[in-house]
Amino acid sequence: MSSPTQALFANRWLPVLLVTPLALLIVIFFYVPIFQAFYWSFFLERPFGGGSIFVGWANFARVLSDPQFWEAGKRTVIFMVIGSSLAVLVPLILAVAADRQLRLSQPARNVLVWPKGVAGASIGVIFAFIFNPFVGILSPLNQWFPGIWAPGIDGTDAFIMLIAAHVWSGIPFNFVILLAGLQSLPRTMHQAAAMDGAGAWRRIFDVQLPLIMPQVFLTLVLEFTESVTSAFALVDTMTKGGPGGSTNLLVYKIYVDGFNGYDLSGAATQTAILMVFVVLLTGAQFAFLGRRINYER
Amino acid sequence: MVENARSLNLVASAVLFLGMLYILGPLYLTLTTSTQSYEFMLRNGLVWYPGDQFFTNVIRIFSETRIPQQMANSLVVAVGDALVTCVLSFISAYALVFFPVRWGSVVFASILATIMLPLDIRVITTYQVASNVLSPINALLDIIGLNGLIAGVFGAPVVLEWSVLNTHFGLIAPLVAHGTGTFLFRQFFLVLPKDLVKAARMDGAGPIRFLFDILLPLSRPSFAALFVLTFLGGWTQYLWPLVASSTPNMQTAVVGLARLAPDMEGVMPDFPLIMAGAVVVSIIPLVMIAVLQRYLVRGLVLSEK
Repeated sequence: MSSPTQALFANRWLPVLLVTPLALLIVIFFYVPIFQAFYWSFFLERPFGGGSIFVGWANFARVLSDPQFWEAGKRTVIFMVIGSSLAVLVPLILAVAADRQLRLSQPARNVLVWPKGVAGASIGVIFAFIFNPFVGILSPLNQWFPGIWAPGIDGTDAFIMLIAAHVWSGIPFNFVILLAGLQSLPRTMHQAAAMDGAGAWRRIFDVQLPLIMPQVFLTLVLEFTESVTSAFALVDTMTKGGPGGSTNLLVYKIYVDGFNGYDLSGAATQTAILMVFVVLLTGAQFAFLGRRINYER
Repeated sequence: MVENARSLNLVASAVLFLGMLYILGPLYLTLTTSTQSYEFMLRNGLVWYPGDQFFTNVIRIFSETRIPQQMANSLVVAVGDALVTCVLSFISAYALVFFPVRWGSVVFASILATIMLPLDIRVITTYQVASNVLSPINALLDIIGLNGLIAGVFGAPVVLEWSVLNTHFGLIAPLVAHGTGTFLFRQFFLVLPKDLVKAARMDGAGPIRFLFDILLPLSRPSFAALFVLTFLGGWTQYLWPLVASSTPNMQTAVVGLARLAPDMEGVMPDFPLIMAGAVVVSIIPLVMIAVLQRYLVRGLVLSEK
């Protein structure tokens, strides 16, 4: 990045000094852990301490032959696709609505940011109560049709609950980004389209949505990473991976394997696989979707 | 623009109403439930009207649980994270924009890469590192063979140990190792008028003086935005404080809240108490959002560009 600023301070050591503290923290708590994840995926910890032995691809073979890993991976992808699509779609609809001059627009812009202050774990605790089959909001339903809502037994119900909480948490960021995108569109676009006879509904689909595709794309990319990683707090507080592993996402399985099962190598191997997956996914999105959107503009 | 868009406006209003209901409904139910007694909740389930037990429940949160101590931890973590992130991001962005740093783009890219792999994903090995921050140095000494030499001379190799687990520093440091702040300040610096540095230099200001007298005052809104953003991020962290603190007294309030529900099967948790806890734990960030909304929105928008 050659900065466009022409007049620079010609000082050699000061900038190094200034970057060092942050760089040091990032090396220690970001790059070393990533390196270690890959390191441990090729080594096995000797029981009772005493270093490690190189085992080649044995850890990968063990993890990849474990049906639970594939099950958790499948759940993660399903959660990612459904969760992040909804977590972008819902704020998108809300942003298009809030962009209009309505009486509710101002209060909505305020209220829709509130979830940012409620931790994922807190909303997990709250939703676990609200959707409790015995005292929660859907418990009357169970009195009429016994067993229709049972997130403690039915995996699909538990999954729906998880998605509802995930979308709730994701609204502020995506809403703010998408609304900012809508508001940055020049008014003349609207006026020109209106003069050409495009009605208000038509303009949403033919003017507004195509023009904020960059923002939609960006929120989607960030949301994919977010849904893979931040689901931990929700799973831990709402379902603990149950019932029967139906909400056992990879990020939760890694935690359980590592901290409850003391399987450092197995957890590190899964971490390495998950990291490669996230990086490839982000790269692929930028390579394919990103280019096409720029092209269409 | 004058035109008839009544159908659209009606639908848009309905959408906004539903959206607000989706956000506020759970929060409202949290509030009403926190005002009931345990027995009332068992008999009537979830109700939409408030009761009179709110203060009883809140007092129980303060006297029977560790939430007060954990709130103090949350405050230390959130403020520490926000302050350190602001300062370190500011000076590193300054160095990267206003100095001809060799490999500057590589450094910036490596800082930015942190956004792609959040802490939750690499928690296992980050925990390993935090249990001995100096382990990379040990490994380095082993690899370059210096340790063999030392062991030969002094009889034992050097094994440095420094665990930051269960300390406030350990709770904060991995949160700071993040690139959003640097990115945010860099974006801001790049749109500043290019003559600013020239004028400052002509007036005889050196880099330090420029930093404090010109850049710092100009950056105040960005500081506020980043502070609010990182404060909320620090307060709402869950997985890292969960693993990095081994005693309840070092846990943060969000972790403490999640631990209020009993793990036993078949026991109806004391939801009014838990909901009162949720109110207590969320009140500081929610008030902050209500008051500093402007800065939060700015921070969210800036962190994206």
